[in-house]
Amino acid sequence: MTSIQEDDDLVFRKICSLIEPLNEKGVKLTRDTDLIADLEIDSVAVLDVVMDIEDNYDISIPVNTISEIKTIGELVDAIHAIKKEQS
Amino acid sequence: MSLFDKFQPTKEMYYALREQTGRDPFGVSMDEMKGPTRAIVKGREIVLAGTNNYLGLTYDESAVKAAQDAVAQSGTGTTGSRFANGTYDAHRQLEIDLAAFLGFKHCIVFSTGYQANLGAISSLAKPPEDVILIDADCHACIYDGCQLSGAETIRFRHNNPSSLEKRLQRLDEKVNGKLVCLEGMYSMFGDTAPVKEFVDIAHKYGAHVLLDEAHSFGVFGDNGRGLAEAQDIIGDVDFYTGTFSKSLASIGGFVASNHDELEYLRFSSRPYMFTASPSPANIAAASAALKRIASDQSMRITLWENAKRVHAAFTQLGFEVCAPASPVIAVKLAGKAQAFKAWNFLMENGVYVNLAIPPGTPNATSILRLSVSAAHTNEDLDIVISAYTALSEMLANDDSKD
Repeated sequence: MTSIQEDDDLVFRKICSLIEPLNEKGVKLTRDTDLIADLEIDSVAVLDVVMDIEDNYDISIPVNTISEIKTIGELVDAIHAIKKEQS
Repeated sequence: MSLFDKFQPTKEMYYALREQTGRDPFGVSMDEMKGPTRAIVKGREIVLAGTNNYLGLTYDESAVKAAQDAVAQSGTGTTGSRFANGTYDAHRQLEIDLAAFLGFKHCIVFSTGYQANLGAISSLAKPPEDVILIDADCHACIYDGCQLSGAETIRFRHNNPSSLEKRLQRLDEKVNGKLVCLEGMYSMFGDTAPVKEFVDIAHKYGAHVLLDEAHSFGVFGDNGRGLAEAQDIIGDVDFYTGTFSKSLASIGGFVASNHDELEYLRFSSRPYMFTASPSPANIAAASAALKRIASDQSMRITLWENAKRVHAAFTQLGFEVCAPASPVIAVKLAGKAQAFKAWNFLMENGVYVNLAIPPGTPNATSILRLSVSAAHTNEDLDIVISAYTALSEMLANDDSKD
C-alpha cells in the first residue's frame, strides 16, 4: 500500500510522461502548469491525453470534469477523486 | 484582460497563414454558382470538390421545380417554430416519408442537422442520473448536444467497440439512462463505424444508441438508407439522425426511431421548440430529393465509381489517404503550413477542397478533405486528378511543416 504522498507523486509523474510528447516548447512541468495556456495544447489534444490516462488507470473521466481542469495539479486531484469513487 | 483576449492565439495563427497566400480558406466566396460541381471564384471557374453534395441533387429538375412551387404556394418562410405556427402539412408529410423510407415508426424534422443532434441528445439525456458515451471523433454538434444536456459525458476511442464496453462496465449501478452516440461515415477522414458491433455492445449493457448518418444517408446501403442498412442493423438503431444538407440537397435535419417516446421531443427539445421551422422551399426540395433517392439507384452507383477512381489515383500518386475508398477522400499533410500551401496550390489549379486543421481534425492532423459527387463529370475528375498530380510534384520539394 503506497502512502497518499507517494501515490500522488506517481500519478503526477505518469501524467507528465503522457504530456511530454506534446510539450513542444519544453516547458518545465509542475503541478501549476496550465495545459492550454502554458503548453499551448488545444482542447481536443487535452481530451486525447485524458483518454490515455483513463486507460492507464482503468477509470472514466467525464468530459464535464475535464473542461473544468486547467492545471496538471487539478488533473492529478481529479484522478484521485475518481479513483476513490470508482474503486 | 478583455473579452477579446481569448481570440488572440487563433487570430495570430490564422492571419499569418492567410497573409502568406492572400487567400482565406475559411472564407471563400462562391461568386457565382455554375452547377453542382462548378463555381466562379475571383473571376475563375473552379471545380467544387469540397462540398457535401454526394448525390449531386442541388440542381435536380424535380427538386428545383418543387421548391419553386412551394415558394409560390406557401411563401418564403414560416416565421415560427414547429411548436407554434411553423408546422405545415409538408413538414408532417416529409416526416412520414422519411420514416417510411428508413423503416422507422417515427420521425421528427428539425431546422438543421446540427439542431437534430443537439435537440435529440439534450432532450434524451438529463443530469444527474443519465450518462452519454460518445465516440471521440464525433462531430461538434454531438459534443454541443452533450453540453446542452449537461449530463455526464464520457468519450470512448474512435471506432473501438471494446473501448466503449470498458466504459460501460465502469459505470455506477446508480446510472439510469445510457445514451451511446456515434456516426456512420465520419466527415473528415471518410472512415466508417462498425455500427453492428457498437449496437450489440450498447444493448448488452442496457444503453440506447444514437447513430448520426449525416454523411452516410443516401451514400451507403442497397437502398441508400445508410451504413446501418449496409450492416443490416438499421432496425436495432434506437435513434437515427440525419441531415437534409448533404445527399438531400437542401437544409434541415431529422431524428427517426421506433420508440414511441420519440414524440416527447416535440415538447421537451429546445432546439426543436425555440427556432423557426425549415422554409417551405427547403422542405419541398428535401422531399423531392428523397423521392429521387428512393427511385433511382444510379446516382449512388456513379458516386462510388467516382470515389473509387479518385481514391485509386491519389493512392497511386503516393498521398497518405486517411481511409479506404469512400466519397470523402482526405489526404494527410505534414502540418498546418504545408496543408495551407497545398490548399492554395489546388485553388490556383482550379480545384476547391476543404482545408482542415487541428483542433477540428482527429489526432491533430492537417488534411485536405475532398468529397466526390455523383454529379462530377469525367472532365471534372480529370481536372481534380491533374491538380493533385501537380501538387504531389510540388510537395516532393517542400519541407514546410507548422
